[in-house]
Amino acid sequence: MNKKFSVFLTALFCIFIGGVCLLSLLLPKQEFSPKENRYLQPTPTLSLEAVTHGKFMEQAEDWTADHTVGRDLWVSLKARCELLLGKKENNGVYLGTDGQTLFAQYTAPVDLNRRMDAVNALADKLSVPVYFSLVPDKTYVYPDRLPHGAPLTDDGSTAAAAAQLCSEKVAFIDLYSAPWGQDSFYRTDHHWTTMGAYTGYLTLSQAMHGSVTLMENEPLLESDQFFGTTWSSAGTTWIKPDSIYTWVSDKLGVQVIAYPNGKPVEGQLYVRDKLDTKDKYSMFLGGNQPLCVVKNPSAAQGKLLVIRDSYSDSLAPFLALDYQEVHLFDLRYNLTPISQYVEENGIDQVLVLYSAENFSTDNSVTLMAR
Amino acid sequence: MVFSTPVFLFYFLVLTLGIYYIVPRCWRNGVLLVSSLIFYYWGERSYTVIMFLSTAIDYTHGLLVERCKAKDNDKGARMAVASSVIFNLALLFFFKYWDFLARSLQAMGLTFMPVLNTHLPIGISFYTFQTMSYTIDVYRGDARAQRSILNFGTFVTLFPQLIAGPIIKYKDLGDQIDRRTCSSEKFASGVQIFMVGMAKKLLIANNLGQLWDASLAGTGGASVAGAWLGAMAFSLHLYFDFSGYSDMAIGLGRMLGFEFLPNFDHPYVSRSITEFWRRWHISLGTWFKEYLYIPLGGSRVGHIRKYLNLLIVWGATGLWHGASWNYLIWGLYFGVLLVLEKRFWLDWLGRHRLFSHVYTLFLVAVSWTIFAIEDFGRLGQYLKVMFGLGGAPVVNSAFGYYLLNYLPSLVIACVAATPVGLAVYGRLSAQKKMALSTLLVAGGLVVCTAYLVASTYNPFLYFRF
Repeated sequence: MNKKFSVFLTALFCIFIGGVCLLSLLLPKQEFSPKENRYLQPTPTLSLEAVTHGKFMEQAEDWTADHTVGRDLWVSLKARCELLLGKKENNGVYLGTDGQTLFAQYTAPVDLNRRMDAVNALADKLSVPVYFSLVPDKTYVYPDRLPHGAPLTDDGSTAAAAAQLCSEKVAFIDLYSAPWGQDSFYRTDHHWTTMGAYTGYLTLSQAMHGSVTLMENEPLLESDQFFGTTWSSAGTTWIKPDSIYTWVSDKLGVQVIAYPNGKPVEGQLYVRDKLDTKDKYSMFLGGNQPLCVVKNPSAAQGKLLVIRDSYSDSLAPFLALDYQEVHLFDLRYNLTPISQYVEENGIDQVLVLYSAENFSTDNSVTLMAR
Repeated sequence: MVFSTPVFLFYFLVLTLGIYYIVPRCWRNGVLLVSSLIFYYWGERSYTVIMFLSTAIDYTHGLLVERCKAKDNDKGARMAVASSVIFNLALLFFFKYWDFLARSLQAMGLTFMPVLNTHLPIGISFYTFQTMSYTIDVYRGDARAQRSILNFGTFVTLFPQLIAGPIIKYKDLGDQIDRRTCSSEKFASGVQIFMVGMAKKLLIANNLGQLWDASLAGTGGASVAGAWLGAMAFSLHLYFDFSGYSDMAIGLGRMLGFEFLPNFDHPYVSRSITEFWRRWHISLGTWFKEYLYIPLGGSRVGHIRKYLNLLIVWGATGLWHGASWNYLIWGLYFGVLLVLEKRFWLDWLGRHRLFSHVYTLFLVAVSWTIFAIEDFGRLGQYLKVMFGLGGAPVVNSAFGYYLLNYLPSLVIACVAATPVGLAVYGRLSAQKKMALSTLLVAGGLVVCTAYLVASTYNPFLYFRF
């Protein structure tokens, strides 16, 4: 190696690492990463205690990683390199064969019995009919879009086993064989779309009260810039955004009582302010909350209690077409015993509805019969 | 602190190199000592005391040995060496093997040793071996005792090789600690080796580690082909991970003006286990040879004794890799193979080119499986599947998926594990060499940074629900 070249190579290396260091230190810091939906590590404070306990080092490592200059670009570059390497997954997400659908991976539960025990115990405590259903994972609905041979994260066996484990007091509603369409699930998010929720609604309503309300108008486009959580995980910035639609009009006189902080406030079927944020799906009823009641006095059926996860938020507008009251109850934030709630509110039917993944992974499920 | 983190590359290294080259030459060892202590303290905190203890004790022992030798007091010198060896082994035993022994005894119903649940100080197996060799080298006259405790501390703590080797013997480094030249040529070649190491670690090793994890987890059900794919992935993962760390250490050393001996020499092109161990983790192999095998009598003893020595050395080598029975078995597995090769078929292998390659890779892949799985139940299961005894299908769709998904990475890794790349590079004209290494260093920096930053990319998905 000649002198000139070695000076050049030395300079290249030093300028690169020194440059990243200086730029990262000097450029203004982002406090919140909308893409990752979390607060980034604030500048760690140096104190003797923080150093001896190792807190300073931990925070400093997080800080240097969170605030490396051009962070999002690096993440995207890595995702592209993985694709270039011929890999069909990145960061726990499968890249679909259509090049545009992303599938989050999860593993089936080891303690399904325990989870189903909770559902059965709930039915034992109640004197009203209890329905139980699981929303299939996108991998189950669109196996043809999965990379060839990719291990299915939802092969239907969890739902089948769960159906077997239902006691005679629990009526299992099979959503796995519902007539899913090509647009039933978001490509960049794990949730079902408004059209998917409608498909789910048809099956659920048919099973719960033997009739359905058919939609006659066209879905209304609310946003075509929705990048979901799976997109966030994958770091694949080249994937096109999803569109969010609403279908049931919010001008039909449906009343929403939301309980974002435990106290009733007037809510909306569609909180359109949320469309300006990253988490656009929370437009439906405003996102996670302990309790939300949707009232439609002109409906034919009585009162339905839904033990919810976020899939229910986009389903609720359809259920409101049939039920005078739909109560969406979140086990994670609401500590009221369900039996007490059912009694106090004169609930007629209970629907336990989870996505296959949430039912498999969320531990609050086991608290259902508390 | 480890090398493959943003905090090391963009902050620690920038600061250390900056200060190292700004201060007067005579302060450089001081800068290295302080930065190495910070490097160790960063992750190990109170265990940094071991560094001070180790430095102080071995420093005094070195001087003691030399003084005894000057007075022709061989017995005293031997006592000093023994005392230093005992101290270092005690340190290693306490932190690494106490709990292992205590648990093994408890399994047999003996409870006089309590399980302490100590956390293993990172790098302890490497630095205790280095300091141990120091007093022995001084005794053997291979090195002069270090007069300056600061310089000795620099040797003990030197951050490039502190936590993952190579194991550097004092006789190879002592002179460089006292006096070394720094030049842009050395620095630039350090940059090249460092980038090769970083690319090995971040681009190849981590990638294939995921394949191994998937195959161990049996995602999609186990198959015979899948188990072998997993073993192959682990073999490559381990090589690129470990040799990547060694390369980064050697590269960093050069940036600071040091020359470390190479630690790996394309082990997977070997044609016998004997050759494999001359090419794999060379610094450990030579350490055991010089400080254990030869003192035991080496090969200048009768056959039986020689083979026994080999088994002792390989049992120790196995346990050095980890305090668990599978490592002991793994070491003895190699010991037995080496004895068999020496006794029976080494020459025959030399005459059969293709077979000897297949033979070596097969035995090494099996060895890594034993190495990788500490739990005997799981190890047995995995080996059963590998050898088609578990009733698992020969292939399944998951195997197809993983093979296809990782094929480019596997091909790249296989080619990169041979000396082909170096040979091609060696034949290029000086002009082309410069262009290519510029491209590789610049591209390597960019892509490695992407992987480095992305590994910390951690979306918080509370709204998944």
